[in-house]
Parts: sequence; C-alpha cells; structure tokens
Amino acid sequence: MDFNIIPSVCSYCGCGCGVLFQVLDGRLIDTLPMKTHPVNEGKLCIKGWSLHEHVVSDKRLKSPMIRKNGELQECTWDEAIQTAADKFKSIIRDHGPDSIGVLASAKITNEENYLVQKFARAVIGTNNVDHCARL
Amino acid sequence: MQEQVREWLEQGKVDIFLGYKNIQGHPLPYCYTKDNLDETGNLIVGKARYSLEKMATKIAAEHPELKIGLLVRDCNQRALNVLYIWNQLRPDNIETMSVNCCPSKLKEHGDCSYLEPEKAAPLKMMIGIDNNMDVETAEEFSQEDRYKRWMYEFQKCLKCYGCRDICPVCFCKECSLEHKDLIATGSVPPEVPIFHLVRAVHMGGRCIDCGLCEDACPVDISLRLLYRKVNDIVSDVFDYNTGTSADQSPFNMLGEEVKLEPKPI
Repeated sequence: MDFNIIPSVCSYCGCGCGVLFQVLDGRLIDTLPMKTHPVNEGKLCIKGWSLHEHVVSDKRLKSPMIRKNGELQECTWDEAIQTAADKFKSIIRDHGPDSIGVLASAKITNEENYLVQKFARAVIGTNNVDHCARL
Repeated sequence: MQEQVREWLEQGKVDIFLGYKNIQGHPLPYCYTKDNLDETGNLIVGKARYSLEKMATKIAAEHPELKIGLLVRDCNQRALNVLYIWNQLRPDNIETMSVNCCPSKLKEHGDCSYLEPEKAAPLKMMIGIDNNMDVETAEEFSQEDRYKRWMYEFQKCLKCYGCRDICPVCFCKECSLEHKDLIATGSVPPEVPIFHLVRAVHMGGRCIDCGLCEDACPVDISLRLLYRKVNDIVSDVFDYNTGTSADQSPFNMLGEEVKLEPKPI
C-alpha cells in the first residue's frame, strides 16, 4: 500500500491554481484543490477537478504513431520526428514558410513555449504562432 | 499526539495514519506509514480541512483489510458515521484521533479558520442568498422573492462538480448529476434549478453539514444553507439526525424491511 498526496499546479490555463494529486499504489486516482493556495483558495473549475482523468485515460497515446497506407501504426520517436521534419521541409519548399502554423500549449512551461515560438520564427520562418488557451 | 500515532503504527493498531504535514509552507494531508516512523514527528493538525475520510474510502476500496488511522474533527466524525451506514468503510478498520473542531455557532473555540464564509457583498445581500444566513431568516423572504434569490444563486453555477467531488459522503459510482436522462448535459449554466435541487434531494439524510461544498464553490452558492434545509425536513419527518450516530438511515432501503416510517406526531 502506497498513498501519496502530491502538491502541484494545474496545467490548463494561465491562472496556475494549486492542486493536490492523490496517488494510490502508483496510480493517479483523484485531484483536489489546494485550500491554502493563494491563487485558487480551495476552488477549481471542472478542468482542474478532472486533471487526473487525462493522465490515466485509456485513450492516451503511449507511443508515437505514423499513418501508413491509411492506418495508424506505432513507430519509434526517431522515425516520427524524421517523418515530420521531412514533411515540413517539403511543404516549406513547395508552398513557403507561411503555409505552416504552430500551435503552442498552455500545458507546457514558459520556457518551452519560448522555444516553440523560436522554432516557428527561426527554424520554420513564420510568425504564425498561437496557443490553445485562447478560449 | 505525534507519539500516540507512532505508537499506533509500531504496535500495528493501524497500518497507515492520515493526518497533516507542513509541505512547502502548506498544511497538506499526509499518509504516515510504519515504514517511516520518524516522519510522525512532522504530524500537525493543520488549519485547512481536507476530507481525510474520503481519502480513506478510496484507499479502503482498493485495500479492504487495511487498518486506517485518521485525524478527525467533529465534521470528519459525522462523515465517518454516514460512511459506516452506507458500507463504504468498516468501523473495525478505522481508528480515529479526535482533534479540536472548527469555530462555529456550536463551538466557540476551534482551530480551523477556513470554515466561516466571508461577509457577503452588497449585491449578493440585495438579490441573492447570503451564505451566513440561517434557515429561518432565509425563509422570511416572500415566496416569489425567495425563488428569485435562489435562482440568482443557481444560475451562477459553472458546473465544476466541485460540490460533489469534494463531498465526503458522495461516493456513488453512477451520479445522477451526470445522467443525461435526468438532467440535460453539455451546457453551462447547467439546467437550473434541477441540477442543484437533485443534488439537494440526494443530500437528505446524507449531508453532515461540514461546509466543504460551499468552501469549494467558485461562485459562492449558499449550498450549506440549502442542504441544511433539506436535512431539517429529514429531521422533522423521520426524526433522524444525520451523522450523529451510526444508526441506519431512514433512506436505507436494503434489507428485510423498508423502514420509511415518519416520526409519530
């Protein structure tokens, strides 16, 4: 039996509500709002309350996949990244860099988001950068 | 208190003990085990209340034989009584350590400072229901006024399900609030007032007036007052005071006979 309460920060929007994850036998079973957190003071929205669900969801992808002959097949990360890079290159060559848009995420850190826009602007060469939290 | 818990763990009176520990400056629930007895020196009571009994219910569902120790305030004890009645926890496997309760009208001195609702703002006083009201005062409004005021409260709902998720006595696998035949799903605000009234009805004979739902409500709906009213009816009609004892609830229909008997007039 192993039961832990892990304090964390909600990864959805920019508010950064304090949450507590309940972990039973290594499995994330529930999310609770942190009562003493200065941001949310023990309250959460439905997305925060359901944080644990997408972690333990059956639908969650566990390895990268490539569509071959119309069917998704599991593959290695190297293979997936190479395929994406090749496709990007060919699209940029044929249609120009502005034919590509980059969607960053509210679920990653500031630094990672910085890297995403840097990647878009410096590597791909487009200003088409946006993020999913513009709800 | 810390030594007592250490003793309990050493002697095997309990396998785990749910209490609080100061982590990164926050009093957070913590599971003390016999594998790390020195940790018991960090046990604190903690001013913030969490539903330790709900955690115990989840642990017991996976490990039915585990003996669980628990730090309990009055509200936790009432919740435990209800959970015993509804077979979510076995009294034999639960060991409680009572600590001082939250300040309230019933108890003047208490340690918990996160219970009393804040003073309501002028708009809420004018057109809504003040969280600090008691049932009698809330009933003094005319029927029409009262209806408008409650509807004002309900339509603020974000449908976060926080009231249900934090509730120590909400344990059903299938929840009526998510049943599409009972309540229209997929829209915000939820179907008012049905959403809140369905929950209120289900709180009859269950709600132990701990106030965690109101604490967790992002839009300050006066849930505690609503459920208090529902339980007043249960108390008037069936002479049953929820959570005060481990006696069967009048709503417990399982068993040889159905005992939905009103109290003699």
